[in-house]
Amino acid sequence: MDLAFTPEEQQFREEVRAWVRANLPADIGHKVHNALRLSRDDLQRWAKILGSRGWLGFGWPQQFGGPGWTAVQKHLFEEECALAGAPRIVPFGPVMVAPVIMAFGNAEQHQRFLPGIASGEVWWSQGYSEPGSGSDLASVKTRAERVGDKYIVNGQKTWTTLGQYGEWIFCLVRTNTEVKPQAGISFLLIDMKSPGVTVRPIKLLDGECEVNEVWFDNVEVPAENLIGEENKGWNYAKYLLAHERTNIADVNRAKRELERLKRIAKAEGVWEDVRFRDQIALLEIDIVALEMLVLRVLGAERSGKPSLDLAGLLKIRGSEIQQRYAELMMLAAGPYSLPYIFDAMEAGWQGDAALGLSEFPGGNVANAPLASAYFNMRKTTIYGGSNEVQRNIVAQTVLG
Amino acid sequence: MDFDFSDDQQQLRDAVSRWVDKAYTFERRRAITEAGGFDRTAYGELAELGLTGLCVPGDHGGMDMGPVDAMVVMEELGRGLVMEPLAQTLAASVVLSQYAPADLQAAWLPQMASGEALVVLAHQERKVRYKLNVCEAKAAPSQEGYAITATKNMVPAGDRAQAWLVPAMLDGQMALFLVQAGAAGATAAGHVCQDGSRAANLTLAHTPAQLVTRDGLAALELATDVGVATLCAEAVGVMDKTFALTAEYLNTRKQFGVLISSFQALRHRLADMKMQLELARSMSYYATLKMGAPAAERHLAVARAKVQLGQSMRFVGQQAVQLHGGIGVTDEYIVSHCFKRLTQMEMTLGDTLHHLGVVSEGMQDTAGVFA
Repeated sequence: MDLAFTPEEQQFREEVRAWVRANLPADIGHKVHNALRLSRDDLQRWAKILGSRGWLGFGWPQQFGGPGWTAVQKHLFEEECALAGAPRIVPFGPVMVAPVIMAFGNAEQHQRFLPGIASGEVWWSQGYSEPGSGSDLASVKTRAERVGDKYIVNGQKTWTTLGQYGEWIFCLVRTNTEVKPQAGISFLLIDMKSPGVTVRPIKLLDGECEVNEVWFDNVEVPAENLIGEENKGWNYAKYLLAHERTNIADVNRAKRELERLKRIAKAEGVWEDVRFRDQIALLEIDIVALEMLVLRVLGAERSGKPSLDLAGLLKIRGSEIQQRYAELMMLAAGPYSLPYIFDAMEAGWQGDAALGLSEFPGGNVANAPLASAYFNMRKTTIYGGSNEVQRNIVAQTVLG
Repeated sequence: MDFDFSDDQQQLRDAVSRWVDKAYTFERRRAITEAGGFDRTAYGELAELGLTGLCVPGDHGGMDMGPVDAMVVMEELGRGLVMEPLAQTLAASVVLSQYAPADLQAAWLPQMASGEALVVLAHQERKVRYKLNVCEAKAAPSQEGYAITATKNMVPAGDRAQAWLVPAMLDGQMALFLVQAGAAGATAAGHVCQDGSRAANLTLAHTPAQLVTRDGLAALELATDVGVATLCAEAVGVMDKTFALTAEYLNTRKQFGVLISSFQALRHRLADMKMQLELARSMSYYATLKMGAPAAERHLAVARAKVQLGQSMRFVGQQAVQLHGGIGVTDEYIVSHCFKRLTQMEMTLGDTLHHLGVVSEGMQDTAGVFA
C-alpha cells in the first residue's frame, strides 16, 4: 500500500501541467475560474487545441489514434486540466459515442466518424432521454422504421445538453415494439442537419439554455448509420455506462471549486466566521474522502483486480459535493448573490454602478451569478440516473 | 498509488481473523465484560499471535512492522469487537521506540512485545476535553528522578496495566513520563465503560516517574495520531461487521408477508450506510498512509480522517439499530454492542467537532489528497 504516484506518473503530470498552462487560452481560463458563461466557440476552441495535441480523445486506445493512457494517467490529465481552469471536455463525442463506435461500429464507420470527433471539428449530442422516460431509459418511444436502405425516424428527445450546437446526435431508437423494452432498441447516428430535425432550447431555472428538446419528423437516416446490430442498442448503451467510471465523481473540478469557495468566503468576510468556516472544512473533508474513493477505484483498475463496485457511490457523492460547494458560494455572498443580471455572467462585465452592483464587498462583481450556479447545480442529483436510482443499484449489489 | 495488501499482510489478516472467529466469540466477550471488561488471557492470546510486538523494533523482540500492518490487524479486531487495548500497545511501542532513552526502551519494549507488560496512555484530564497542549499534571525533579502529581481519567484498562505514559508539565513545558503501576502514591480505580471495555481513574501523588522525553507535546501527538489511525481501522472493522449484520437481517426478517429488504425506504438507508462505510474505509487508508509524513501533515490527515470516521460511525451505528427494529435495542443481540462500541470510539481521542476545529483552523487555500 502506498499513496504516492510513481516517478513516471509524477513526470507525466508535470508534462501535462506544462502543456495545459502553455496552451489554455487565458480568456477561457478566466471564465472557468470565475464560472462565467462559456460560448460554443470557447468550448470548441479548447476542444480543437486538445485535438491538435491528440488529447481530446484522452481515453482512446492507440489503435484509434488515442494516447493509450492508463486509468491513472487519465485521472492525472483530467486533474491538471481542471485545476488549470480548462473547461470540461464536452463528453458526447470523444467520451461517449466514440467508444461505442470503436467497439461496435464497422471499419467504414470508424473512418467516417472518429477523425471528426478526435479533432473537435464535429459537435455531437446525446439523444437518450425522452419526455416521460426520466431515469427509465429503456422506455424510449422514438420510432425508427426500416424502409429499404433507410430508417424513418419519428419521435422526440429531450434534455439534450448543448444540443443547440449539435451537428450529429447519437440516439436510442425503438426498432421493435413486440419484445420486452430492452430488446427492441437500436443505436443510430443522425445528422442533425437532416430535414425534419427541430431543436428547441429549454430555458432552465437559472435563465440559461443548457438543454434542448429535439424533434424527429419523418427524418430519413441512411441504414449505414446504424451501429452494430439492430435491436442490440441497449447493450451498447450499457457498455457506454460501464465506460463512465471515476470521472463521474468530478473530484478534480470539486478541488478547483473549493479553492474558489475559499476566495469568495475571504472576499465576503465570512472566512473569519467560525460557523461558516467549519462548513467549508466539512466540505474539504468530504472532497478528500471522495478523492480517496476515486483513487481506490483507480488502484483496483491498475492492479487488474475486479473493479470495486463503487461507481454508484461515486456518482451520488460527487453530485452531492457539487451541489454543496455551489450552495456555500451562494450563502457566502448572501444577499449579493441574489440580483439576477443576465450580463453579469459575461466576461468583462464591469458591474452596474446605478444598481450598486460594482460595490459588492471585496469589490467582487463576479458574485452576481452565484445563486444562478446554485440553482443550476440542482440538476446533478437528477441526471445520469438520479441519485435514488443509484441507491437502488448500490442496494442491489448488497442485498440482491 | 497502490491499495493492494501484500501476501504477508493478507496472511496476517487471515491469522487475526481466524483467532477472532474461533476464540473471541460474542459469548466470551460478554463474559469478559461481566468480569470487568479486560481479560489478561485474551490479551495473552494476542501476544501469542505476535501482535503485541507488532510495532516493537526487532532488537527488542518485536516484529518491527508498519502502519499498514497495524491497520490490517485493527480492522480484524474491530470485526470481532475485541476490547483488549492492542491499539494502546501499538501507540506506546511507537512512542517509546522513537522518544525514550535506550535504558527505558530496553526495560519495557521486550516485555511489551511478549505481552507481559501492558503500557497505556494516560492523558485525559477533566477540564481540557480533547486538547493535547494543556494539562494540569505537574512533574518535578526528585531524588529518584522525577515525581508526578496528576489525575487522569478514562485510562484504557488503566488498573490492569503495568505502566502508564503520562504527560505532565515540567519547567513550564509538557514532558512525557513513564509511571510504573504500584509506584508510591499511584492509585488506579477501574470501571467498566458503555462499550463493555475497561478504563480507570488514575491518581498520582508525588509518584516516582521516569522521563520519556522533554518533547512531551510532540510525543503525545505522535501517540494520539497513531492512536487515531488505529482507531479508524478498528472502526472500519466494527462497521463492516455492523453493516453485514444489518444486510443479513433485512434479508431474513419478514413483515407484512415479505422480506423487509424489499422495502425501498430500507434499501436506500442501507445504501447510505454503505456510502458512509466506504468513505470511512477510504479515510482510514488515508490516515494510515500518512503516518510516515511530517508531523503537521500527519496531524492534519488524522484530523480529517477522524471527522469522517466520527460521522460514519454515528450514522452506521444509529441506522443499524433502527433497521433492526426492537431487537436492535436489546442487550441480548450483538448489534447494540456494535452501536455502543462505535459511539464510544467517536468520543475517544477527540470527537468529530474537535477534529473539525483542527481542520478548520488550519485550512489552506488548496486542499486534497494531492493538493
